[in-house]
Amino acid sequence: MNKLRLIIAREYMSIVGRKSFIFMTIGLPLLFILVAAVPAILAYFNDKGSDTQQIAVIDETGRYAAALHSDDMYNFVAVRGDTVTNAREFYDKAGGGLDAIVIIPRNVDSTGVVNIFSEGTITPALASTVRSALTDTIENAHLADMGIPNLQEMIDKAHVDVDVRSIKWSEQGEQESSTDAAMGLGLLLSFITYMFVLMYGAMIMTSVIEEKTNRIVEVVVSSCRPFQLMLGKIIGVGLVGLTQMAIWIALLAIVGTIAGSVLGISSMPTDAISAEQMASAADMGAIESIMRQTLSINYGPIILNFVLYFIGGYLLYSSLFAGLGSAVDQASDSSQFTTPVILIMIIALYAGIACMDNPSGPMAVWCSIIPFTSPVVMMVRLPFGVPTWQLLLSIGLLFATALAIVWIAARIYRRGILHYGQKTSFGTLFKWIK
Amino acid sequence: MAYLDINNVVKRYDGHTALAGVSMQVPEGCIYGLLGPNGAGKSTLIRIINRIIAADEGTVTLGGKAMTDDDITRIGYLPEERGLYKKMKVGDHIVYLGRLKGMTKADAVASMRWWLKRFDLQGWENKKVEALSKGMQQKVQFIATVIHRPPLLIFDEPFSGFDPVNAEQLKVEILALRDQGSTILFSTHNMASVEEVCQQITLLNHSQVVLSGSVDEVKQQHKKNIIAVQTPDTIEPNDALFTLLPPDPVVRDTRIMLAKGVLVRDAIAWLNDHYLLTGFTEVLPSMNEIFIETVKSQSNTLQSNE
Repeated sequence: MNKLRLIIAREYMSIVGRKSFIFMTIGLPLLFILVAAVPAILAYFNDKGSDTQQIAVIDETGRYAAALHSDDMYNFVAVRGDTVTNAREFYDKAGGGLDAIVIIPRNVDSTGVVNIFSEGTITPALASTVRSALTDTIENAHLADMGIPNLQEMIDKAHVDVDVRSIKWSEQGEQESSTDAAMGLGLLLSFITYMFVLMYGAMIMTSVIEEKTNRIVEVVVSSCRPFQLMLGKIIGVGLVGLTQMAIWIALLAIVGTIAGSVLGISSMPTDAISAEQMASAADMGAIESIMRQTLSINYGPIILNFVLYFIGGYLLYSSLFAGLGSAVDQASDSSQFTTPVILIMIIALYAGIACMDNPSGPMAVWCSIIPFTSPVVMMVRLPFGVPTWQLLLSIGLLFATALAIVWIAARIYRRGILHYGQKTSFGTLFKWIK
Repeated sequence: MAYLDINNVVKRYDGHTALAGVSMQVPEGCIYGLLGPNGAGKSTLIRIINRIIAADEGTVTLGGKAMTDDDITRIGYLPEERGLYKKMKVGDHIVYLGRLKGMTKADAVASMRWWLKRFDLQGWENKKVEALSKGMQQKVQFIATVIHRPPLLIFDEPFSGFDPVNAEQLKVEILALRDQGSTILFSTHNMASVEEVCQQITLLNHSQVVLSGSVDEVKQQHKKNIIAVQTPDTIEPNDALFTLLPPDPVVRDTRIMLAKGVLVRDAIAWLNDHYLLTGFTEVLPSMNEIFIETVKSQSNTLQSNE
């Protein structure tokens, strides 16, 4: 046991002490933020970079030109329709001073068609700006034309957004269940499992191959059992992963607290509620509902099961990676063995995503019982509730398989770490297992 | 009573037999040479002694008791292909391997410092292994092998890659360890170093012991009754007593091989009567010659048997 502890400690420190670990732990979340922010940044520079376009609006109806408001991007200049007979001439006369001409035809009320002319490119952004501005204005004008008193109020009264609340009959009585929140949570958990297993499985394999190629392994196994070394590695790297996760959760909590306090202050002066905040109040119902759903999820069992599946899945795949890593001389030879393993993982992830639509369907059930896919797929099903017998069967199978794989991997590992030279085939692996 | 007693050890792999009933007795406090060409089974035997792999048949006893897994703390092993964790600090690395062999942290640290000083590596304790030169890395490997003062040391080609100065220092250290009571199993191809340090040897070839005993005995067994004669005269052949051999290209003395049944003193008496002798020495074969001769003759017999 003492040796195992030494090995775990060395393995742990050898990764946590590295610069790349610190970089990964701090850098990865930053990278995520960056990736999320890139479209906004790009859009910002896109808007910023281009000059304001000059758009002439020829309004033959004389009613709607005012609907187009100028902003940083477009400067709409209304031109009375009866003064222009030929749009092309008008455009040419401007001598390049115009970027486009919007023509609102006389019959727009009946056809609903508005034309934009230009020699240059007409951007989708311009088209959609014009469309959204005119649609509302024309529609409102039509309603006003009907001359029905209090029409707007009637419409507002008639308007309805159907909010579907799913209520589950459980032993605790009626519970509002939680489709959106459950889906989000399930996906998050399955993705965490998938990422963790792949990342740290690969890390274990690298560590095994490194020990083998720099020939330290023979010295180490003359001091401990190969199984102790393998297990020490798996546990050590697993602890590294948990450390990393703990740091991420801590970071998330810090960022959350800061963001929360900043937002909280900005919404404090209630006497100065802007129109926008009024509008967002309408969305509060939806947010509240999601909040209520999120709170209604029964987290205790989910966390317990998540931990169980997490350990089982990690044990299964990491020992697989350790065993396969021991069979090759250098990292570049490992792909023939890792490809099938990674493929299974990817299948598991896709099965998990596919199961979201029907978490109790046959595919979801089967994939959440088969040990190689269950750690990922069951995560998707957990928040929706899973029959106890399926859970027990699945966890039992997972751990039985994981232990079998550890045993098999240990047998491969024992032979593999001292095997140099000729390439190992799957046939050789089977011989080693026997 | 041998300290390390290997009795009829057999190891089979899928296709072939790596060890076909090998026995070897290593006395306590002795430097014992384990010799043999590549693929003879030396590494397999060493791994069995280290309990890295298990023998299919036979026993290994250490200090009179059958070996168990706990006994590996009593062995220090320097493999032929040896490496270090490149990213670890020198001191941490040595202490880690010492503690894996059962030392307490305090003991391991103290011993590590003592050895680093002895090898002039004091300044390197907190440097990473990858910053060391190859020669220094080999010293670190040696220190990691002996740090827990094991009663049995196994060195597989310890001198390979060392420059002559460092090789000499290593030899002195190995002899010192022997003098302090360690038993040393020494596997090598380098026959010159065998003659310098080994008292006894076992020669493995094709998974079997083909020769064993003390270095002196083995040399006596393989001597060919050759005498180097120092004389200013030119000796003519005398078929009844000896045949002339081509002179040694380096020493330029005259070499004769005695005919069968002729005693050294008879041949020398006759020579002394006829020539002016200034000296003579019996020429014993070098371990190198014995090694090549034994391995070659065995492969000839194997071929003729097939």
